[in-house]
Amino acid sequence: MKCYFILTTFCLLLYACKVEEISPVGEAPKNISGSWKVLKATRNGTDITSAFDFTQFRVKFDSAGNYTIVNKIPFLVNTNGTYSLDDPAYPFKITFTPQGGTAVATSFNYITTAGIRQLNLTFVPGCDLNAYIYTLEKDN
Amino acid sequence: MLPRLNIKGRKIWMLSALLLIGIVFSFCHIKISKVTIPASAKVGDVVPIQLDIDESCNSGGSDRLILGVLMPKGWKGTQNMTATYKSSKGDGSFTMVPLTTLAAHGDGKNWPDYMRATFGIAGNLIDDMEWVVMQSDNPFTYANGDKITGSIFINLKVGADDNPTVVKLAYVVANTTNGFTSDTYFDEGYGPTAEYYNQYIGDCFTVTGGSGDLVDFCNPQLTTISPPKSLDNDLVTISFDSNVTETALSGSDEVYLCATGTTNDGQTITICEQTAKTLMEGVGSGRYEITIWPRSFFGISDNQTLTNMTYFITDKTGTKQVGYGNTTAPFTYKFKCG
Repeated sequence: MKCYFILTTFCLLLYACKVEEISPVGEAPKNISGSWKVLKATRNGTDITSAFDFTQFRVKFDSAGNYTIVNKIPFLVNTNGTYSLDDPAYPFKITFTPQGGTAVATSFNYITTAGIRQLNLTFVPGCDLNAYIYTLEKDN
Repeated sequence: MLPRLNIKGRKIWMLSALLLIGIVFSFCHIKISKVTIPASAKVGDVVPIQLDIDESCNSGGSDRLILGVLMPKGWKGTQNMTATYKSSKGDGSFTMVPLTTLAAHGDGKNWPDYMRATFGIAGNLIDDMEWVVMQSDNPFTYANGDKITGSIFINLKVGADDNPTVVKLAYVVANTTNGFTSDTYFDEGYGPTAEYYNQYIGDCFTVTGGSGDLVDFCNPQLTTISPPKSLDNDLVTISFDSNVTETALSGSDEVYLCATGTTNDGQTITICEQTAKTLMEGVGSGRYEITIWPRSFFGISDNQTLTNMTYFITDKTGTKQVGYGNTTAPFTYKFKCG
């Protein structure tokens, strides 16, 4: 009886120690489809969110790689066109190509704040000395 | 046996540490005793500036001298400033400190950023200035008790941006080891804080000539524009300070922008309505601001660009206006980056 007990315990331990194979989980492609609004804007490091009316501006990305600008303000581009990420899963750069215009790229800073995705875009619409950062958040 | 050895070792280490601190962190108290500069210059002139320096050393060592000059960004100081020195420890010249060189005691900042964080813009009123930083070519050796005298000779080509300017130039001298630190050792004639650095802020220096608008860093202005250099696709903030002097708008609780833009094809567009579009928001202490996107504000087409703008500040009725220097002439602004 004692032998059976020891054998059973040994078998259970063997089973318990069996290596479980787990398939690696791939990083999901970054999906920015939707309508984005300005949550915060800085100019040369100074917060100008409340100094100018950013509330009507929207940039809309669709899943086919197109973007649309609604109610223009100084931005990377001023006309509608296409966008692309340099890597779908681990993007470092986003490129806007306006219709009939030249492609403009900036760093892709896709952060999560309080569980909500935000997109920080840095650009220079006028003089090179004047850098702007818009923090965008989805409004739908 | 072990505790006694431990105590001896501790003393040796403490003595070594004190010796090391004495070698590494001691230098010379320094001061700028005199600055010689012309009262004014013309755009494009090379201005000679002489700084007379005194140093009093409280230990022996060897180090390089740091020289910083605060000037308008538009002067492109890294390209337009040279400096040499003559001293009781020898003569030589200064070279620009690379931006990749971290400043001693600068918390990871390079020298220009460290000066900016420590000294700001030295009382100037427009934040469009930079510290241009150089270091002496050779380290010089000093001994405890040395009294060193010398002069720094700066040649600064002013007005690279072609703007007439009024500005307070400022100067900082320090060394490459101690940064902007001080000690408690009293050194007569070097102030109570016995600093290893010194700042000197000059009087208002005037640069005349040039084709651009006057940039006055020195005197309070009725209106200022931020950023000081911008194009029509920037967001431009116009500020009105009602405290500078008594104006026709004194006592008005609402003020408005009345502006005329000129395009590259010669069109002039005036926006002089007293509505929400032109209302300047009160930001306290008698100051009012409005931030505009000039392209949208003047409603120009995609094919046009704005070259310049003139403007007044008005009351709610539009009948009371304040212009440049509190006159009936408008304020002027050119959209340009240089």
